Amino acid sequence: MSEGNTNSDSSVNDLDFLRMDWHKFLKARGSGGSFKLLENYKNDTQGDPDFPVTHVLWIQGAQCTGCSESLLDASNPGLLKAFEILNIDLERHEAFLAHQGLFVDGEPANTSELNSEILLDEISERGNYILMVEGAIANGPEGSGKYFMSGNRSSKDMFKKAAQNADLIIAVGTCAAYGGINTANSDIVDILDYRGVAFTKKDPSKGMLKVLGIDKPVINIPGCPPHPDWIIFTLSAIISGNVKIPDDLPEVLDEFGRPKVFFPPDHNVHKDCPRKEFFKNKEFDSCAGGEKCLLRMGCQAFLAHADCALRKWNDGHSYCVQSGSPCIACVEPDFPDNARPLYSSKKNKKSIKKEGD
Amino acid sequence: MVRVTVDPLTRVVGPLRLDTEVDENGIIKEARSSNMIFRGFERIYRGQDPRDSILLSQRICGVCPVAHSIAAVNALDELYGVAGSVPKDALVARNINQGLNTVSNHLLHFYILWAPDLANPAYGNVMSTFGDLGASVWKELLGRFAPISYKIGGELIPPGSSYVGVIPMKKRLHDAGAVIGGKMPHQTVTYPGGVTNNPTTSDIQTLSSIMSEVVDFLNKNVISIPFEDWIENTYKASSPKKAVDFFIEHLNELTEMSLQKNDLSRPNGWGDVELYSAFGSELIGEELLGLPISLKHDKMSGYNDLSKIGLLSYGGFYNVGHEGYDPTSPSGDRFQTSGFMTSSLEYHDFDSNKVTENVKHAFYDDYEGDRHPYEGVTEPFTDPDRINYDNFSEEKYTWSKAPRYDGIPCEVGPLSRLLIMKEPLVTGLVQLFRDNNYSPFNSFTRMMARMQELFIITNEMIKWITTDLDPNGRFRVDIDMSMGRDSRGMGLCEAPRGALGHWLITDDESKVANYQIVTPSAWNLSPRDSEGVPGPLEQALVGCRISAVDNWLGVDFSNPTGILHVGRSYDPCITCAVHTIDLTGKNPPGIFRLL
Repeated sequence: MSEGNTNSDSSVNDLDFLRMDWHKFLKARGSGGSFKLLENYKNDTQGDPDFPVTHVLWIQGAQCTGCSESLLDASNPGLLKAFEILNIDLERHEAFLAHQGLFVDGEPANTSELNSEILLDEISERGNYILMVEGAIANGPEGSGKYFMSGNRSSKDMFKKAAQNADLIIAVGTCAAYGGINTANSDIVDILDYRGVAFTKKDPSKGMLKVLGIDKPVINIPGCPPHPDWIIFTLSAIISGNVKIPDDLPEVLDEFGRPKVFFPPDHNVHKDCPRKEFFKNKEFDSCAGGEKCLLRMGCQAFLAHADCALRKWNDGHSYCVQSGSPCIACVEPDFPDNARPLYSSKKNKKSIKKEGD
Repeated sequence: MVRVTVDPLTRVVGPLRLDTEVDENGIIKEARSSNMIFRGFERIYRGQDPRDSILLSQRICGVCPVAHSIAAVNALDELYGVAGSVPKDALVARNINQGLNTVSNHLLHFYILWAPDLANPAYGNVMSTFGDLGASVWKELLGRFAPISYKIGGELIPPGSSYVGVIPMKKRLHDAGAVIGGKMPHQTVTYPGGVTNNPTTSDIQTLSSIMSEVVDFLNKNVISIPFEDWIENTYKASSPKKAVDFFIEHLNELTEMSLQKNDLSRPNGWGDVELYSAFGSELIGEELLGLPISLKHDKMSGYNDLSKIGLLSYGGFYNVGHEGYDPTSPSGDRFQTSGFMTSSLEYHDFDSNKVTENVKHAFYDDYEGDRHPYEGVTEPFTDPDRINYDNFSEEKYTWSKAPRYDGIPCEVGPLSRLLIMKEPLVTGLVQLFRDNNYSPFNSFTRMMARMQELFIITNEMIKWITTDLDPNGRFRVDIDMSMGRDSRGMGLCEAPRGALGHWLITDDESKVANYQIVTPSAWNLSPRDSEGVPGPLEQALVGCRISAVDNWLGVDFSNPTGILHVGRSYDPCITCAVHTIDLTGKNPPGIFRLL
């Protein structure tokens, strides 16, 4: 490492990602790069160069694979390098791995090397893994969960199987955390009855874990999709042992289960907006393409507790407001209803027209 | 008969079940395709500001989000009456945004979703019976395409060089997506009348630089011929025959150079597409190049009854030679021609009025006849006991409706697009297979079309970025919101995996009264229709041998590589394919004020 980075590196060396002040975290990452941050972590663990292996079981519910796509965009280090440094064994993932469900005359066939359903059963019966969930879990119709089936079981049963023996559940993306787009208001939202892992919208009593009567520690990493840094650094903090599961979670998570370092309760996307001067001067754009404040174009940045404006997206290239589009507060538990209509400042029309009104 | 079921078919987006009945010779006799998720997506638009669909529709699919935003914004351009006046530079910016997503999608599909099946242990077994050459082929397949966390016989296989190599390239394409579109996945800039941002000179430099990286990637990994030479001699060839002759001649040279030493490595000239071209197809590999072995993917997923299948393209990417575009997508108005092609390759102009859907075999209550998307009505089953996939004889077995064009099931995607735009290499390959009594539409031609489109769109993107995009140009026209009252709009585009349409009707308060989405995977993965005619994927599975290399080592029902290849060759997206319009049927089409 270069001499110039000494100060920030020393601060990096004794930090816990998830306990850190979020501004300090971004600063440290900016000067050293997240790769260095991870390397330092690795070197700090009592002289042991390697973390013990961490097994990860990934399951998908009602989702768009955007969270997995975003994870592939991890940078400095890239995804596979990060997995290598952290010694993560991604044992099952519906989009990236060799497996699929195989049945001959209705019976599971082949072995867990090719059969995703046998593999799911093997891992979940063994235990000792972090469960990462992408997507909402179907409870409808009528509590059956049959609006989402996979491998001859409902996603509710699949989730139950996977959750029972997990050491920790990470809900990746707003759908898994809070239901997201699958729970957007409509005249059939109650029939669909999609659920987040530990919350449905803001309500923890409606999370799928509560429905199933399972009690597990949960970390929510919302965002539609979540930034890859949020996922990788959360995993880093846990694997390095700097955040103990479950004891330290109340300290590092906010009331909606989000790591405060990425989703600061006392801060929002608006506070770092490059267009903030226009807001102060009450200069607003009311059609697309201007350079002024986007409040009247529906911007919800002041409600969005996230670090997008400083972290930026896709290796720091841009983010929503920078590209002239309103922030739609996709990290919030009531997304997307909180931000609709997306391109208008009139957000008071929460209730939609019911059939026949 | 043995029932062989793949459930879920992974490495696609969302849960797909392929259910087959296979005879004792390992030949599929019956096949059903089930989409197993119901999301009720379009219902969230009802009674709301129609512009919400620009950003929310992307949440249907995180792999092809840009296409959903383009389809949505096309419908909105028509709704607000601005389609004819969107400035040229806004069309260029939208094309670049979509093009980056198409290139990224095709790379993801080939390398992450599809190619891991080439490292299936069944191929190792087959190749081990072909001596040193077989060993070389297997070494390359495993060494390039093995996915992460892959085990064979308890041994952990290191991830393949191509699999590992494509991830950073995909990331760079998303970086470029953020430069032109704000962020990826789920870009933010498409807006009726144009785009919300003004690309700068510096943005153009960044985009150009990333496109250079794409070309480098293609040259280093995908083909050994320089990119420009490949384009010149295939895409720009003066005839389909010349394109195919060039292609076969190149493979011939490679083969002659390599066979003595059994060296099929990349440094020896075998890019991924060259390797697959020579060893993926029986006709090309065994008959034309004289190789002793191939994967025989050209004998998979042909259609048995050519009168019951067509090819469809709505037309991909705007023609940037002029301002504005025609929402009905007449043939000359898009970079990739719109059209319908019969299975005997007879071209017809596209007519959006011929698109219909029916629900006879889906978990919705029936209605008489087929309906145009503007008149879509859907009543999903809400009784869990009526949602079953186990019983092969059940009439209803999927959440996907059955889209038809003029009553005919249609394959959509790169193969259809490139044939309809008369692309020389793919047209020539299809003719070559037909002339040699192979089904011209098969897993091999489908994958080759996808890779050729990757080259073509890369080539076109470089032109859009360096020649057409003017940072001093105009990037939008303002919309008059009052135009959105009692109005309607049709948004047609080509998603990476095929024809995508959004249909939208508003009420007298400018709110959405009806929103209908018909996706590429609804076309390809369609169930049987009201006449009992199966969808394209279902047709393609029948007659296919389930085990590796035409059941070369006998039939292994527990490792049905045939089903895996055929299913994944369509690049399925299940979360795209399921949708609903009208739960209770209280709103028959008559109450919408159709203009």
